[in-house]
Amino acid sequence: MSRVLIAASILAAALALAPAGEPDGGTVAQPGEKLGQREVAFHCLNRLAYGPAPGEVDDLLKRGWMAWALEQLEPGSIDDSALEARIARDCPIMALSDTEAIAAFRPPRPKNRQDLTPEEQLALQREANRLRQSAMEQLRSAVLLRAALSRRQFFEVVANFWRNHFSIDQQKDQCQILGASYEEQVIRKHAFGKFEDMLVASAKHPAMLVYLDNVLSQRPMTERERAMVERALANRKKSEFIQKLERSRGLNENYAREVMELHTVGVRNENIPGGYTQQDVIAVARSLTGWTVSFGEDRVGFTFRKEWHDEDPKSISVLGLKFPGGGGVEEGEEILRRLARHPLTAEFISWKLCRHLVNDVPPEALVRAVAAEYLKTGGDLKAVYTAILFSPEFYSRANFRAKFKTPFEFAVSALRATGSSIEDTTETLRMLEDMGQPIYRCKDPTGYYDQAEAWLDPGTLVYRWTFALRLASGKMRGITLPPDFYKPILDMKPDAMRDALAGAILPGGVDPATARRCGEIVGGDFRPRDRAQELLGTLLGSPTFQEQ
Amino acid sequence: MPAFNRRDFLRSAGGAALAAWAHAGLSPLRALAEDPVRTSLPKLVVLYLRGGADPINIVIPWSDPTYRKLRPGLAVGAPGTPGGCLELTKEFGLHPAMGGLHALWGQGLVAPILNVGSPHPTRSHFDAQDFMEYAAPGVRTITEGWLNRWLTATNEGARRDVELRALAAQPLLPRSLRGQFPVLAVPEDKALASMDKFEDLYGGEKKEGGGGMEERPAAGSERILGAGQETIRKLRFLQEILSRPGGRGAAAFPASRLGRQLQGIAQVIKADVGLEVAAADVPGWDHHARQGGPDGQMATMLGDLSSSIAAFTEDLGPDRMKSTLVLVMSEFGRTVAENGNDGTDHGHGGMMLAVGGPVSGGKIYGKWTGLETAQLYEGRDMPVHTDFRLVFAEVLAAHAKLAKSETFFPDWKPAGPMLGFLRNA
Repeated sequence: MSRVLIAASILAAALALAPAGEPDGGTVAQPGEKLGQREVAFHCLNRLAYGPAPGEVDDLLKRGWMAWALEQLEPGSIDDSALEARIARDCPIMALSDTEAIAAFRPPRPKNRQDLTPEEQLALQREANRLRQSAMEQLRSAVLLRAALSRRQFFEVVANFWRNHFSIDQQKDQCQILGASYEEQVIRKHAFGKFEDMLVASAKHPAMLVYLDNVLSQRPMTERERAMVERALANRKKSEFIQKLERSRGLNENYAREVMELHTVGVRNENIPGGYTQQDVIAVARSLTGWTVSFGEDRVGFTFRKEWHDEDPKSISVLGLKFPGGGGVEEGEEILRRLARHPLTAEFISWKLCRHLVNDVPPEALVRAVAAEYLKTGGDLKAVYTAILFSPEFYSRANFRAKFKTPFEFAVSALRATGSSIEDTTETLRMLEDMGQPIYRCKDPTGYYDQAEAWLDPGTLVYRWTFALRLASGKMRGITLPPDFYKPILDMKPDAMRDALAGAILPGGVDPATARRCGEIVGGDFRPRDRAQELLGTLLGSPTFQEQ
Repeated sequence: MPAFNRRDFLRSAGGAALAAWAHAGLSPLRALAEDPVRTSLPKLVVLYLRGGADPINIVIPWSDPTYRKLRPGLAVGAPGTPGGCLELTKEFGLHPAMGGLHALWGQGLVAPILNVGSPHPTRSHFDAQDFMEYAAPGVRTITEGWLNRWLTATNEGARRDVELRALAAQPLLPRSLRGQFPVLAVPEDKALASMDKFEDLYGGEKKEGGGGMEERPAAGSERILGAGQETIRKLRFLQEILSRPGGRGAAAFPASRLGRQLQGIAQVIKADVGLEVAAADVPGWDHHARQGGPDGQMATMLGDLSSSIAAFTEDLGPDRMKSTLVLVMSEFGRTVAENGNDGTDHGHGGMMLAVGGPVSGGKIYGKWTGLETAQLYEGRDMPVHTDFRLVFAEVLAAHAKLAKSETFFPDWKPAGPMLGFLRNA
């Protein structure tokens, strides 16, 4: 019996869910009250998927949520070939290697650039912009299409988590073109693998090397080299050699800091006993000198430049390790793997995953249990997910509808809830920008915030309401509600129409303000189709639909 | 988690009263507005030139022959020559497109600050902007903007109830305004239509139930409702201010994005409702190519900047301008020498412009060490002689009267005297 099945059966015994059927309506559920079967199904679809698609809550009830969850933990067993064929057609950059992507999308660079007329230069600039835009849009579209349309929903949920954990901004330099292979080769390839493999893959990927500047990091100049540069500067004679030396300004600590602060042991563990220190940042940065990118015509990719590498001994207190130096590229890799296996990393990753999947303030006992599983399995991510999914805490009422959707989660769940088809992603991508969460464009290496607070600034809800209304009235360019979405309910009495829509969009119950507003629409003077649109827009923009 | 405080506030008695007031159409702030202090309340308007604006083609070192030598295609000539700069001093002039600001300079309302910037060597737009807007170069644990930190630190007394203490005249908050203090980001007009539809749901006055549905609120539903209420309340209040008769004034703002933004900010200031901080982004200053000299892309943008600020000044009038400071900044400067594409690349030291009544203007601030290679940062960029935090510290201390401004900046204290570009410094 697999580890997953053992966990699941233990849980089934421990949970003893409330009997099938609806809990008592009309009252606020008590904190200790167990979730009903329907609530559990909805909860699973909210957290392990981007919300229910039409009919999906009933499907889960029929086949059992646990069978569904187990299947989601084996994404390879779920056929998603139709979507992947579409990605191959609409977003071909996703299949390209770094070398191929750069070859296909790098702006043309004619040798005689100085001799071009202004018009020719402008045309060149336009072509460069077009290529860049196309590369960036393809990646953003692929992320949106997969989140909304994939049948491997849990895979997409965790992929989004890791995309955000190992965040890069596609607008920085060559990330414009290399972001796609980063998504494929780092995030998607390892989302169900081992954490340390994802960490090393991210560290060596050209996009991360560029994004966090390790591509520039070199051993500092020797005294002799520094003197040469100063002499040349004084004489105002700058040979190519001197200019090259000048550019080798030495260590860049950016990546080394973030890899500890954001990717592994966590900022909470800086300068605490046993945590990392500024000296550790410098030592790790020195170990990673020479980890850079080759942008050659025939190959674009990670390369280790020995002449840039700092071969002196290093001491890293958070790992309790000393390195004699001269370990080459393996030295840095060893450090990354040791960081990945560190108990503080186990705790940090578990805490973040629980925050994402369970609660903004995750239960401490759960975090400890998940971290233990992480350490026991050497950071096997599937085992870690399993420990969260099949924990009693995941299904406790305290965590039901307890999270606030990010704009991305809101938009994707609205598309799914309505069963919309997506012919063109442009407007949705732009509206995500309006809502403050453009895909692959987080300015901070921290990634987007996962907690409600970050998304409740005054003014920002206006764009969610706009999205809700446009979707309901069929005005989103490139997005189409199913042709028969409204048809079956148009002949219903107003309150039956409302109940049908509310049951589909908000199957977990509705907040009083929304109930009241829907009551007004039911009693109002509308033509059937207008009433249906009004109700759908209201439900999608309601406080309850912002919850997950 | 302090950020929850403001949400709790909405649910507190005070918050409920505010909400009810707003709902009844009786803005509490109109009552406060009669307080005469509000006209003279110090107001700060921050304009951020995104992309790294080229300092020496804005404040032009026209008398230095090196300037023309290093910029054969981009240089602006001496005052009085065709397309020449507008004289400030015997050393410096304003770009010829900036006639509006030049006139204000004549009235002693403009103070350029030269060779100002970040001690951090980054030439990445993203890092440089973040470091400046968080006022914390190289410190990545700071995630709240400097203006928001100031708003939080001073959110007490009479200021506490003020609905529009701060706003961003754009749909997304700039980093400087992000943080726990609830600053309004103003959506575009076309998005506001959705507010009408949701006003009844989120509007504030809660009628219990009665919808004939099973109600099952979750723990967070109230909080989301509160955020929606706050959004609608602030935006309705703003709309009401913007529609007050006579609010627009006669000043001719350019028909540009910036012109509209500053016109809106001016209207809010003139309503005397307690606005203290406003911000607007001005994108597009990353002129790697086709930057132009006296004419061209950058000249057009500088003309817009200058005319917009001039119209803003005229619109507010001398009384309100007395207490209004406009601060123009950018993340870094650009290379001193032009590149091969009629443009300039990312540099280091930049410039700021301070405009308004609080400014001790008609004078250039910041140490100037010329354009000789040996004086440049890494032999190519303008150096940073003034840490931008020294400018911020002076604004906080002299203009915005923050007690304890000494401990405001993480890992940094003002070293040496203030620049003195503000009268109260």
